[in-house]
Amino acid sequence: MNVLKLSVVGAALLGAATSVYAEWETRGNVGLQVQFFPTEPMHRADQSSNASLFSEIEFYTPIGEDASLTVTPFLRLDQHDEDRSHFDFREFVYARLGDSWELKAGLGKVFWGVVESNNLVDVINQTDLVENDGSSAKLGQPMINLVLIRDWGDIDLYVLPGFRTRTLPGDDGRPRLPVSLDADNALYESADRSRHVDFAGRVSFAFDQWDVGAHVFHGTARDPQFRFNPASASLVPYFYQQTQLGLGIQATLESWLLKAEFVHRSGDEFTDHAAFVSGFEYSFYDIRESGADLGIVTEWLYDDRGDDADQPFQNDLLIGLRLAMNDEQSLEGLLGVIADLDEGGQLITLEGSRRLGSNFKASVRLTIFQDVVNDAAFAGFDEEDNLQFEVSYFF
Amino acid sequence: MMNTSSVKKTVTILTAGLLISSLAWAQTPEERGLEIATSAQDQDTGFVDTVSAMTMTLINRSGKKSTRRMRSRVLEVQGDGDKSMSIFDEPADVKGTASLTHSHATDADEQWLYLPALKRVKRISSKNKSGPFMGSEFAFEDISSQEVDKYTYRYLGDVDLNGRVTHQIEAVPAYKHSGYTRLINWIDQERLVAVRVEYFDRKNSSLKTLEASEFTQYLDKFWRPGRMEMLNEQTGKRTILEWSDYEFQTGLTDKDFDSKALKRVR
Repeated sequence: MNVLKLSVVGAALLGAATSVYAEWETRGNVGLQVQFFPTEPMHRADQSSNASLFSEIEFYTPIGEDASLTVTPFLRLDQHDEDRSHFDFREFVYARLGDSWELKAGLGKVFWGVVESNNLVDVINQTDLVENDGSSAKLGQPMINLVLIRDWGDIDLYVLPGFRTRTLPGDDGRPRLPVSLDADNALYESADRSRHVDFAGRVSFAFDQWDVGAHVFHGTARDPQFRFNPASASLVPYFYQQTQLGLGIQATLESWLLKAEFVHRSGDEFTDHAAFVSGFEYSFYDIRESGADLGIVTEWLYDDRGDDADQPFQNDLLIGLRLAMNDEQSLEGLLGVIADLDEGGQLITLEGSRRLGSNFKASVRLTIFQDVVNDAAFAGFDEEDNLQFEVSYFF
Repeated sequence: MMNTSSVKKTVTILTAGLLISSLAWAQTPEERGLEIATSAQDQDTGFVDTVSAMTMTLINRSGKKSTRRMRSRVLEVQGDGDKSMSIFDEPADVKGTASLTHSHATDADEQWLYLPALKRVKRISSKNKSGPFMGSEFAFEDISSQEVDKYTYRYLGDVDLNGRVTHQIEAVPAYKHSGYTRLINWIDQERLVAVRVEYFDRKNSSLKTLEASEFTQYLDKFWRPGRMEMLNEQTGKRTILEWSDYEFQTGLTDKDFDSKALKRVR
């Protein structure tokens, strides 16, 4: 009798589970990352190698004719750094699509940038810094987003109820500064702290080969300033209130892509500033009938606060080379050098990736902090050169 | 014995015949080539839109295979190049990636790429015509919208191919950045579709041969191949495209082919 009951319940559960499963479209990856740090720091004992596991899976289901739910959990488990072991919903968002409008509510992800190095205008989502992936890994942002689609372009309106603090490496994490970072006790200018409600609006349109996006954002700055806390001998992130006006432009002219991002951020006397990133990308296609493409990227990064800037690229030049073999395995390579024009330091990255079979992908990245001892932003990373390998399974 | 009137009649017929044949001669091979290319395009005009699925199999010289899968949507644009969107399902690392092309007969095409992991729509250069599509033996220019104005033509003759009569026409790309000096098309006379294409590289050596087969007629008018096989004569590599789930006139509009739609597409 019990066995019968159990099997009936079991079958019902299995049926429910498979029917629910069948409704979801999935796309994702799970991978292993290994990092090596050849230099042993002088003043602290740190790991010379580190391993971590990660996974990101997008679940998508349509709801009726014109709506959907997207849920994208992300997880990283790190061998040494408990602050790098973290879970996030990159998205947990309900979307409803009309003919001339879209409405999204939940945890969402938005990208606004055009340049390759540092997307100043991309202000909606907080950077997931412990991912150690420049600024391309982002945390899911609570939002209500209304898009009005017009013949001439789009109008995007955002209410952003709640702020995500930037993830920062812990004391056992690398690469990191010689001093502790205390992300848990972040300071805020607003009395509402991380519950401050931010607003943003953007218009975007294209004419001919030109794509233009202009926005205004009012709320908590995504880039923190750091304040030293003598009691805990650590740096504490401080998030001020700002109103940001920004403009992103791209011209697509055959082999040339011309790009620029400008922002003006008004806060108080210390935080009021302007910054831009501007440059070009030129591509050689199908070189000597090999099928391979080579792209050259040059961008100038400027912040009018100079050394007082809360970001490292106050007067820097990016020179990048991107090689795509366009072969069966999609073999690609990238060399990037961001040179500080004031202090002379260089951030050098060399990356390569290729597909293995049909579901695996392998990548390698070397990061070198060259001559950074005099660089205000990167001096602390002098001993943090690293080599990273990754193998991911995609499904 | 002929009487005068019958002689006159014979002369008239002969003269008329000569006139007709000299008129036919007056059409140059270039004009005849353009005429056939134009009638092939006319034959394919009015499909409005199509949706289809495609499996692409890459086969290297030793026979090792790898597979790509994608879905495509095409919107017919009268008097200009078509608009098309491709959504990639395989290999898994590019699942959800989508591309959008507004092709133009003479101006440069416009192209966008959607990268789902970054939620980023990138406008990209359309200058890359000769590079490989998805690592295959098909170049971007082989799979793009074919417009009459993109080539100049020369009629070479009529030949039998696999039991069907075809017009053999040489086509020279009139657009910039092509990887070919010329193509030879075998156009099925009855169906007015290319059943074989031979491509000549920049040194005018034979590079690739495309064979299209398993044609199906839709809406009593439009012929579409179920299979295309591209053989690279120089490397021995092959790519097979298999098309399925063709639908016509599904109600797609311009709004389904802009950069906003590219982000929405599943």
